[in-house]
Amino acid sequence: MSGFVLALPARIGAVLIAIAEQVGGVSLLTGRIVARLRPRLLDRDELFRNLYRMGVRSVPIVSATAAFTGGIMVIQAAPFVDQFQAKAFVGWAATFTTFRELGPLLIGLIFNGRVGANNTAELATMTVTSQVDALRALAIDPIGYLVVPRVIAMVITMLSLCVIGNTIALGGAILTADVLLDVSPRLFWDSAAERLDTWDFGVGIVKSGLFGLIIALSSCHYGLATKGGAPGVGRAVNASVVGSAAGIFIADYFSTFLLG
Amino acid sequence: MTFTSRAESEPTPIQALVRVLGDARDVGRLGLRTLHYLMRGKREKGAIAAQMLAVGNRSLFFMCVTMGFIGAIIAYQSGLQARKLVPDFSMIGATFLKLLVRDLAVSVGALPLATRVGAGIAAELGSMVVTDQVDAMRMSAADPVDYLVVPRFVACLIMGPALLAIGGLVAFGSGTLVANLAFDVSPHTFTNLTFVHLGDLALAALKAVTYGAAIALVSAQRGLATFGGSEGVGWATTEAVVGSCFAIIVLNLILSVIGFFLFPA
Repeated sequence: MSGFVLALPARIGAVLIAIAEQVGGVSLLTGRIVARLRPRLLDRDELFRNLYRMGVRSVPIVSATAAFTGGIMVIQAAPFVDQFQAKAFVGWAATFTTFRELGPLLIGLIFNGRVGANNTAELATMTVTSQVDALRALAIDPIGYLVVPRVIAMVITMLSLCVIGNTIALGGAILTADVLLDVSPRLFWDSAAERLDTWDFGVGIVKSGLFGLIIALSSCHYGLATKGGAPGVGRAVNASVVGSAAGIFIADYFSTFLLG
Repeated sequence: MTFTSRAESEPTPIQALVRVLGDARDVGRLGLRTLHYLMRGKREKGAIAAQMLAVGNRSLFFMCVTMGFIGAIIAYQSGLQARKLVPDFSMIGATFLKLLVRDLAVSVGALPLATRVGAGIAAELGSMVVTDQVDAMRMSAADPVDYLVVPRFVACLIMGPALLAIGGLVAFGSGTLVANLAFDVSPHTFTNLTFVHLGDLALAALKAVTYGAAIALVSAQRGLATFGGSEGVGWATTEAVVGSCFAIIVLNLILSVIGFFLFPA
């Protein structure tokens, strides 16, 4: 009987302890990274290699995602356009939502799947095959050599991908508005330019940098904390993707409030 | 570090497009075979229920948390947007519900669902492939599509829409809360269903079912195509998450255009 009564609290407690464990691990890793943030210590080759691998190679999928996002936002605005006869607002409504919210969010989630999961798989494989220990044996600091360049690369990459993505989303939105809603590009552009602030664009950029940081910290943490040989790699990737996604949504919520 | 070799092989844009189309063809083929076995395959008792537990119940907590935040974000953003246009917030609930029902609850909610469920399916099937368990099944004349893919497909088809519906309710709850706290809109004013039509619900249901099927098929295809040991499982998981998210976004555009003509506001 007592087992039955205690089953639910015990499970809730186990979940909370597991979450606390991961948050603690990420915080410790953050502290270690901050301690090594000195330009002199940075491995430039590793940084540029990661920038290319994570950034340049993600441009096609991010561009495609962004173009579709722009189109979808215009279609979602369509019912209101018909209802209120508000063709002049389409440009503003679609770009406002895309720049501030959906652009960074969708690009962050795609980036999480592509780069974050990949990064965890790579670090986890190195951990379970003792390559990280080998680095330590050679007196090379794994955090400084492996983690710091990745974290910096991911933040820079997310910032630039967001700028590229927003631009392409704007193109997709203008095209869809012209084809489906008969809103001319001129009208669309005027409507967006008149009502959008620079800050609307800025909020999205700040958010995407934040998402990049979250994906970087969580994917590196899960990768280095991998246990249990080859099957552990799959589990680590899975946990990292899910953890970063949850982190992205929570961070999105708070940044939406704080950045206003 | 031989791990990165696969990532750094450089495809030209045309090669990349050909690869995407080839992947889509493979997913389509897998879908046809899944449907075939769904009609006339042998049914292992409890397999579908076990997958429904793995896909549905185990993802419920994660979906509720993310959808709670999504609802709060959408409500806050629409409040900010409404403040610029009109002085009062009386219609914010109506537009929020319209957007939530017609698209955002299902389409944005499908992305965390794809991340969670898709990664799980691909990692599981991928591990079975690299440890030769799938080949062992083929040796025993058991088709892996029948035994592995069909239960996961059915589970996603049922539990995907169910999770998205529950998630939509959670998002509505958190949206009501935020509208009340941030913009002083009473829950009574906020719960305004005047803009929500039957067509919106039909479109949302169609989207939810399609996304469920897409997540299952894309992830299963990636999982079964795994090669190269435990690293390969990591790759398959990555590709499953990206592939399912991308499929959802593309399907969303297609279905939204169809919905635009079929169920106009």
